[in-house]
Amino acid sequence: MGIQKDRIKFNVGGRVFETTATTLANAGRNSFFGALFDENWDLNSQFNTNNSNEDCFFIDRNPDCFSILLDLLRTGDLNFPPNVPERLLYREASFYGLLDHVRSAKWGPFDGNQLRLGRSLTGQAPGDGTAIRAGPDGGCCVAHGSMVHVYDWMLEEHPPMNLDYQRVNDMGWADSESVVISACERLGSRDGGMGLFNTSSGELRYKFQVSHDNQLKSYTAGALSFSGDFKIFSSCKGRSNEYGIGVWDQVTGKQIDFFYESPGWSLGDADKLQWLHGRNCLLVATLFPRKDNCYISLLDFREKNMVWCWSDIGAPLTVDEKRVRDAIAMEESNSICVVNEYEDLGFIDLRITGGSVRWSSRSRLMKGNMPDEPCYPKLALHEGQLFSSMNDSISVFCGPDCVLTSRLRRSYGGSICDFSIGGDRLFALHSEENVFDIWETPPPPVI
Amino acid sequence: MSNQKKRNFQIEAFKHRVVVDPKYADKTWKILEHAIHEIYNHNASGLSFEELYRNAYNMVLHKFGEKLYEGLVATMTSHLKEISKSIEAAQGGLFLEELNRKWNDHNKALQMIRDILMYMDRTYIPSTHKTPVHELGLNQWRDYIIHSSKIQTRLLNTLLELVHKERTGEVINRGLMRNIIKMLMDLGSSVYQEDFEKPFLEVSAEFYKGESQKFIECCDCGEYLKKAERRLNEEMERVTHYLDAKSEAKITNVVEKAMIANHMLRLVHMENSGLVNMLLDDKYGDLGRMYNLFRRVPNGLSSIREVMTSHLRETGKQLVTDPERLKDPVEFVQRLLDEKDKYDNIISSAFNNDKTFQNALNSSFEYFINLNPRSPEFISLFVDDKLRKGLKGVSEEDVETILDKVMMLFRYLQEKDVFEKYYKQHLAKRLLSGKTVSDDAERSLIVKLKTECGYQFTSKLEGMFTDMKTSQDTMQEFYANHPELGDSRTLVVQVLTTGSWPTQPSITCNLPAEMSALCERFRSHYLGTHTGRRLSWQTNMGTADIKATFGKGQKHELNVSTYQMCVLMLFNNADRLSYKETEQATGIPASDLKRCLQSLACVKGKNVLRKEPMSKDIGEDDAFFVNDKFTSKFYKVKIGTVVAQKESEPEKQETRQRVEEDRKPQIEAAIVRIMKSRRVLDHNNIITEVTKQLQSRFLANPTEIKKRIESLIERDFLERDNVDRKLYRYLA
Repeated sequence: MGIQKDRIKFNVGGRVFETTATTLANAGRNSFFGALFDENWDLNSQFNTNNSNEDCFFIDRNPDCFSILLDLLRTGDLNFPPNVPERLLYREASFYGLLDHVRSAKWGPFDGNQLRLGRSLTGQAPGDGTAIRAGPDGGCCVAHGSMVHVYDWMLEEHPPMNLDYQRVNDMGWADSESVVISACERLGSRDGGMGLFNTSSGELRYKFQVSHDNQLKSYTAGALSFSGDFKIFSSCKGRSNEYGIGVWDQVTGKQIDFFYESPGWSLGDADKLQWLHGRNCLLVATLFPRKDNCYISLLDFREKNMVWCWSDIGAPLTVDEKRVRDAIAMEESNSICVVNEYEDLGFIDLRITGGSVRWSSRSRLMKGNMPDEPCYPKLALHEGQLFSSMNDSISVFCGPDCVLTSRLRRSYGGSICDFSIGGDRLFALHSEENVFDIWETPPPPVI
Repeated sequence: MSNQKKRNFQIEAFKHRVVVDPKYADKTWKILEHAIHEIYNHNASGLSFEELYRNAYNMVLHKFGEKLYEGLVATMTSHLKEISKSIEAAQGGLFLEELNRKWNDHNKALQMIRDILMYMDRTYIPSTHKTPVHELGLNQWRDYIIHSSKIQTRLLNTLLELVHKERTGEVINRGLMRNIIKMLMDLGSSVYQEDFEKPFLEVSAEFYKGESQKFIECCDCGEYLKKAERRLNEEMERVTHYLDAKSEAKITNVVEKAMIANHMLRLVHMENSGLVNMLLDDKYGDLGRMYNLFRRVPNGLSSIREVMTSHLRETGKQLVTDPERLKDPVEFVQRLLDEKDKYDNIISSAFNNDKTFQNALNSSFEYFINLNPRSPEFISLFVDDKLRKGLKGVSEEDVETILDKVMMLFRYLQEKDVFEKYYKQHLAKRLLSGKTVSDDAERSLIVKLKTECGYQFTSKLEGMFTDMKTSQDTMQEFYANHPELGDSRTLVVQVLTTGSWPTQPSITCNLPAEMSALCERFRSHYLGTHTGRRLSWQTNMGTADIKATFGKGQKHELNVSTYQMCVLMLFNNADRLSYKETEQATGIPASDLKRCLQSLACVKGKNVLRKEPMSKDIGEDDAFFVNDKFTSKFYKVKIGTVVAQKESEPEKQETRQRVEEDRKPQIEAAIVRIMKSRRVLDHNNIITEVTKQLQSRFLANPTEIKKRIESLIERDFLERDNVDRKLYRYLA
């Protein structure tokens, strides 16, 4: 074999590295190396790239980090030596345009049964956290009272956001760059409502309005949901008639529709909205104790009608009172999964209106040591795996019969008040101490 | 560890605020600005990529992203203004080349700028929702170069002029053209459409409007179509050479509209060269061209189809109603087949086997074939002719093709039952006279008829074949049981089932004594083996071979009909017989006897009898002798009977009447079937349903159907509704 033609030498901050153009090509065109080399991955001849007397290319950067990143390009694996701070490595990766490479090497594809605690972060907000939402790129946002703190996937905190310092009810990621916040109104002013924020700068980009009879009204925005085709849904409570579900366009920020609440059925108080792609309609759940009774319905906005509904009005109360505390639609199995305060799962058939809850008998496996401050259970769904939080742990259920397969628990920070899955990570927010945990699937094994 | 990190962060932020040199940003920007200038001046080889990248990185990191971005915009703008001036200054033909050269330079520069500013492009621009570097460069080029007042119209005019030159036959620099058009496309589809495509299409429409007018004045249809086709191909070629692929549909649309749609009717009806002439002269090339061009415009094909259909119907009508042509049925059918072949060829080779054209062809044939009520008879005669003699020495495959073609004509017939009648008669003659050439061909045709019309249609025909086969077996058995008769089969009997064969009035004649004895033995044999049957002799359909010795000892074998045999046998015992004597002795009906005597005595060269007086016709008072001077170079002589091949007028009437009679029960059966399932139905619906059910056999006449309904009401199969007289009810 002759001498490899694509061998190349770098002098990075005084240390000489030798590698091949083929290795560097793994960085992709949209990187420092992509700019340094031409389309054929020969050194770019338009610039003076022989900037030293020797036969190597000088880069004025940290050599330790360069070696880690070079190994990342060579093997696809990320290995942190203890002497290199994460932040420094991220900084260097950002210089070379390799941040995406680092992120995808840091944790593997999401699987509820393989999750490991990645990190625990303690915030600095006063009072209890109310909600946490995972972003599409592995970041998250956390609501504390009237403030929302944003963290990117490196868990660097970005400028916090607020909507007129009003209490935050819900929030959600519209895309990797923006977050929507819904908040309470302040009496007699236009404050509160809903706004879309830039996550990197924390600036408000749009404030979403509700107009009734061509007049702008102030309102309290509750639960949020996104349809995937740039529509944002929110439950709304206004001063006079504006009870119902509003729809806005995420791109223009304009209101495009409003579904008024019908008498005897609660929409404006809804705790949970979920857009069902397969059925093209919105699940709206108003649950105890916000109202005395629970209402779950599916709304079709094209026809403006309620295509399915369920309520526990008139249902006999059993001895161990089972009230629905959270609900999530599972489109594949044509059912809605609900949970009560004892973490009993129940199912309602989506195909027939007027059915009842079929409670599963897997009851209270960990009854006994109730924490001082219990939190209501919450549900989440991710690629066929069902997650349910209760007190200080999260249970994972798999398969068509929802069998318990894993449990995530960490006894610090009290019970879990909210959790969210996104960007191949699970975030769990604890009610005390303002702590949240990040659970990740480790990168796949070497062989 | 996390504590330590937090401290790190704070210290760094603190450092930045204090250490940054206020002039740092300006200094760094100067370096980068200089680099951008050098890049535009093709001097980049002296620049250090690493240093520039790091500087741009530092500016963004230290929150000078906006300054960097604004600086880039300003620098690029000033360069583009200069470039714009140098392009404007380019003279005549050099204009496009200069534009192209500068565009390439700009692109290269843009790539290099984007390389050194990559960090800004990746981090600062998305978070501030600004335009990325590459897109920014394109937008600026569009605004400062392409849309500059001095360049915009000049560019458009130059491009359109070049296209025009190419259309008029000059050679242009297509590579340059392609690059410029590509530039417009790179700047966004709206730039390409607004600044080139729209005016290009308008100018083209104008051009082709004028050209088509010129062509149509001086060219014939074929020539015009060739020119239109060439223009169309040229435009498509132009698109592949240097335009956006999406323009193809638009520009071809323009050409189609100007050159074809606007002149469509004039082209089709053009005198001496229009569609009709092309069809007459079998101009496949021109027809194919017309089809392919007309297919592109709305209503194009339908106008071709209409003209073809009316022409076809017109010529077809002439063909089937021309009294000259009706004289020879075989020729008549052959002409139909030739016509069909001709149009099949046209449709397959020029009209792309278009289904709608095939349908038009079929409906036209169906239209005119049924104009002539004798078509069913003629088609059957054609088959008869082919199966008698026409297929000798023809390969099996060719036989199949001929039969298939006949079947195709058969399909067009509305009165299929009339065909069946004739076919049965002709088949019977063929079978009984043993004239059929190929049994396989006969059977194959019957199978075809069966698939076309169903089991019922051919069951009787098949019965005829079965009879022939059974008769053979019967004869074998007969001679086996009567060994005393010897090996030579003096009598061959074919036992025909009544009903399967065309009904013939059963007229017997007095057979010669030798024969009648033999016949009697067969009768007793047959009735002995098959009880409960009745045999009657159809002497009018038989043939006989007789050995005759004439006056000078000439020996001949004569092949004659049974009637002729009866007459000739009389002369064994007499020298001279008068007509009256013959009639009395044989008992043959007068018309048949006359025909038979005529063929024995009056046909030149085959006159085994002499007649007195010598004349062409047979008179009641004539006398007959054996012709002792009879000679023939053959040992075997076939004495034909004078047969009317085509039906005579009264026979035709008779057949017609029989057909009508046969239809009655069929119509009634159909009515009863329909009413049985529907119970109640109104008059019009019965008519349509009956017509539909019987379509495969014949076209039922509504008045006849009405009569049948009346008859069924009389016989209490149906009744009229008491309230609505139009409604019929099924009884039973």
